[in-house]
Amino acid sequence: MLDQLNAEQERFLAALPEIADEDALYQLQVTYIGKKGSITGLSKKLGKLTVDERKAFGAELNRVKKAVQAALDGRREELREAARARDLARVEDLTMPAKRPPRGSLHPIRIAQRALIDTFRRMGFDVAEGPHVEHANFNFDALNFQPDHPARDMQDTFVVDDRRGSEDLVLRTHTSPVQIRTMLGRTPPVRIIAPGTVFRCDDDATHSPMFHQIEGLYVDRGVTMADLKATMIQFTAAFFGRSLDIRLRPSYFPFVEPGAELDMQCPFCERAQGGTCSVCKGTGWIELGGSGMVHPAVLESVGVDPEVYTGWAFGFGIDRMAMLMYQIPDLRQMFDGDVRFLRSFSN
Amino acid sequence: MRISCQWLSSLVELPNGASLDPSLVASVLTGVGLEVDAIEPTGAGVESILVGEIRKKEPHPEADRLTLVELFDGETIQSVVCGASNLPEVGGKVAFAPVGARLPGGMEIAPRKVRGAPSTGMICSEEELEIGGDGDGILVLPESWEAGRRLVDLVPEICDTILEIGVTPNRPDALGHVGVARDVAVKLDGRLTLPELGAADVPVSEELVSLEAGDRCGRYLGFVLGGVKVGKSPLWLRVRLHRLGLRAINNCVDITNYVLFEQGQPLHAFDRERLAEGRVVIRRATEGEPFAALDGSEHELGGEDLVIADAAIPQALAGVMGGARSMVDAESEEILLEAAWFAPSGVRASAGRRSIHSDSSYRFERGVDFGEGLDRAALRALKLFETLAGATCTAKAEALGELPRPPSIDLRLSRVHHVLGMPVGAREAERILRGLGVVVKSDGPIGSLHCTAPSHRPDIHREVDLIEELMRFHGLEDLPAEASVPSAPIVETVDPRATVRERLADALCEAGLHEHLAYSFTHPDKLRPFLGEGEAGRIVALSNPLRVPLSVMRTHLLPDLLDALEVNVARHPHAVRLFELGRVYAWAEERSGSAAPTFDPTRAAPVDQIDGLLPEEREQAAILLHGGDAEDGRSAVGVLVHALERLGYQVRVEAFAESKRIPYLHPGVQAAISIISGDTSACVGHVGELHPDIARERGLGDRAGIYVGVVELRALPALPVPVARERPRFPATSRDLSLEIPTVLPAAKVVDALITAAAGAAPDPSAGEDPAQLLGDGIAPGVEVVEDYRGRGVGEGRRALLLRLHYRAVGRTVTDGEIHKLHDVIVQGAIEALSGPELEVRIR
Repeated sequence: MLDQLNAEQERFLAALPEIADEDALYQLQVTYIGKKGSITGLSKKLGKLTVDERKAFGAELNRVKKAVQAALDGRREELREAARARDLARVEDLTMPAKRPPRGSLHPIRIAQRALIDTFRRMGFDVAEGPHVEHANFNFDALNFQPDHPARDMQDTFVVDDRRGSEDLVLRTHTSPVQIRTMLGRTPPVRIIAPGTVFRCDDDATHSPMFHQIEGLYVDRGVTMADLKATMIQFTAAFFGRSLDIRLRPSYFPFVEPGAELDMQCPFCERAQGGTCSVCKGTGWIELGGSGMVHPAVLESVGVDPEVYTGWAFGFGIDRMAMLMYQIPDLRQMFDGDVRFLRSFSN
Repeated sequence: MRISCQWLSSLVELPNGASLDPSLVASVLTGVGLEVDAIEPTGAGVESILVGEIRKKEPHPEADRLTLVELFDGETIQSVVCGASNLPEVGGKVAFAPVGARLPGGMEIAPRKVRGAPSTGMICSEEELEIGGDGDGILVLPESWEAGRRLVDLVPEICDTILEIGVTPNRPDALGHVGVARDVAVKLDGRLTLPELGAADVPVSEELVSLEAGDRCGRYLGFVLGGVKVGKSPLWLRVRLHRLGLRAINNCVDITNYVLFEQGQPLHAFDRERLAEGRVVIRRATEGEPFAALDGSEHELGGEDLVIADAAIPQALAGVMGGARSMVDAESEEILLEAAWFAPSGVRASAGRRSIHSDSSYRFERGVDFGEGLDRAALRALKLFETLAGATCTAKAEALGELPRPPSIDLRLSRVHHVLGMPVGAREAERILRGLGVVVKSDGPIGSLHCTAPSHRPDIHREVDLIEELMRFHGLEDLPAEASVPSAPIVETVDPRATVRERLADALCEAGLHEHLAYSFTHPDKLRPFLGEGEAGRIVALSNPLRVPLSVMRTHLLPDLLDALEVNVARHPHAVRLFELGRVYAWAEERSGSAAPTFDPTRAAPVDQIDGLLPEEREQAAILLHGGDAEDGRSAVGVLVHALERLGYQVRVEAFAESKRIPYLHPGVQAAISIISGDTSACVGHVGELHPDIARERGLGDRAGIYVGVVELRALPALPVPVARERPRFPATSRDLSLEIPTVLPAAKVVDALITAAAGAAPDPSAGEDPAQLLGDGIAPGVEVVEDYRGRGVGEGRRALLLRLHYRAVGRTVTDGEIHKLHDVIVQGAIEALSGPELEVRIR
């Protein structure tokens, strides 16, 4: 029996180095010292031995079992070590092109419009919208564009064929009709911005027949032109991160009186790095848009008493703002859908 | 409007005799709202041009058309070769460019030989000197001018700075130099110096002018000028007109143009001998009355056109253009000079109807001065006719119609402060207003000025218009930046539709699509394949499109995305993943010709009445996928499902019933996208492969796999608030099921059938309150579609769908036995429900 035990141990020791992985090692363990293992099996024969023999053989059996177990453990450790070394020797080139999910982008107009909306929201403005096809009563009449007055020619207007032979329906030429819609719906104080798409019958390198504006309107007791200036300076601080000077130059828009062009100190001069700024052409100012005190006739048209309430309004072009901010060289690029352009805005 | 700085300077006298330099003028004008768009110095190089006297002329021996001239330049005799045919005789004077001179065009004069003859200098034409349009011959100067003098000293108009200013439509007064000068004088605290006027102390001849349309003509002055010598205008006048962009014609026409640009008042000169009975009648045209305009155009007039007729026929379209017949020409000896005020809207309508837009109509439709300025313009012209054409005024007449009444306005100085947010003092206010011609009296209420607007400022109607004048001249430089305090809290709202739109844009962007933005108008042919039943009749068209490809409002976004696809495939080989989120337009119903309602233009009409007249505007989102690694129909479905689930919606993708298929999608590759809320499911869009016929029409036929999808934003329910889901506490047990089904049977139907069968399965009574159910494990759904196999072992037109069904109970671990029974019941139930005469469904 002892011979048998020794033979099993020899066999085991011979097999052990051939073992190459943990699964095989486990099988080996089962083969020799598992419940039905060959070494374990020898213990069943203990009963046939005398007490002394049993004692001696038992001790021997235990020793061999322990030795086998130790050898198994040692081999396992070796295998693990080897596996770890192999794993560590593995090379995966992470500089190969990354597997990344496709990345999309929002249109620069949406990005700019959102930035403007966020800024004005923080300044307490509500956001209002209106239809793109608008009635001339809102697009012109109520905004103090007199019928038959050449001021109507200031905005090249697309007329919608209303199939009734009238020229009453137009593509809105500005976001200002939203002023009318808003004031008809609520009483002052009214403090809104109205971003949106507008249309003019004009198409060349610097004019697109469709573009985007953001309108601002604030009507309340005691609103002044000085408040407009203060609000615009506050806007520049919130939008550009630093407060920029605002310059008003008298101008004419039928729905405001007094009316003024709104210029902002150029925030892009630093890009020129000491050279002449290409945005403001070195003047230090860029034109934001038109502005002014809401014309009393406009307030009257919506039933607001101009003796009690005053207000101001402004309108900027979003497209030009986006072009300046994102350094878009050509207006037309924005509308043809070339993904090589659009993906610039995937951040 | 072009403004001559020299001319302007002559009309303004500054305090302490200061002079007006062009950069000061430019900054003043921009500061008062007459924005300077360009500053153009003129006459550079012309300073060196001299008066030359012809001393000898002989033909060039080598060339027929050249002349050898000996020319006295004030110091010496120069030999010059000249090719002009209009060289004056010996003793005549010409403009001579000596050696070393540089002409405005950049040409430098150097000694040279012309066909062997030496030439030291050049005899110039107007065109070469850029002081006129005549390039046919040389410029011949008056014989009285002294040889050797600089031309610019004799005609200082040559070296001038021209400002291009933008005049807004409210400022007709600034369409003449006097009006602009008035603003400059007020701004710089100077004085307006008006040019010398003539007199018309002649008898009134009533029959000269008859006004039959007083509602359209407020004032008509007629002057008869006799002894007119029509000829060329003097050089200074021609140069000045040239600088303003006008062509010199003859002294009579040039004088009226000159006065137009000086006083802003259009005048017209008729050859009186060609007026029947030598008189004019201001009347409406008769329907169909012919009129030949002096620009050569022929018109058939209508009853709303106002004409200046003679005793027989129209001789001018009032305020718009004179007639060819009575035009002043070299033969004219007696002229009738017209100075008038026509009602602006009438002139505007007439010019619009006849498509004639002239310098005159431009001013009349904005409103010219009907008062003092009208008289001044006429008398100014008389003076010029007298001095430049030797004319004498022999008779005059005036007719009066309806004129606007200059408004009287009380200007409250407190109101100035109230509107601007800065005060303007009473004295400063008076100075400014008086300078502008406003009649100011302090006899009104205390603290206010009683003002009457001048007749040259039709834009001043009410108090705020005067406040604007104070702002213009007091300046905005000192305007403080002072925020006012709201009188009541301002409640902000957020439009939930805007939130849905913005979040959907984000989600589509997150799904790896680039946002495209296209014009809202498109080509009708591009819409055609996308139009559904009755939609063609609901298209919103423009009456005045820029061009046909931009002539109708889009009814769908997909045509624009296809345009963008075309752009991309033409330019690069990469994948195209695009979305657009925007409005589409359609009339609510087919529109017929019932009359459009009219509204009071001084009031805003009620919003609901206006909105009832407008077409429907719907927001849509559309996607387009083409190319790339794994682009197939399911990628497009994935984009939409991802985006909608990202907004919190529960999304279902299902097959369309055959009758509801989308015609512009491939009939076999399309599905409906629905959103489940509560017990209801609503279709919000569709997705699929673009119909190959449309791809072919678009020239994209060789490109397989253009996948598109559309979501109607108004169909989307309110954004759901997320609800925390149960985390199952006990594990689920799954069973795989391989069903062999016809290819045309959608997987969604199989899944639905299994779920329905599960819901209908009788619960195992032994399980008590907590039976095993077909239930997801919190991540996988109850029924998962694992594989769609077609090919070996599966018949033609059939496929094997491998499904995995997950079972669990809520509060316990389920046993194999109960699941076995339940699974069999569910599968049998589903197979029965799915099978039909043409549909064989069986377990594989």
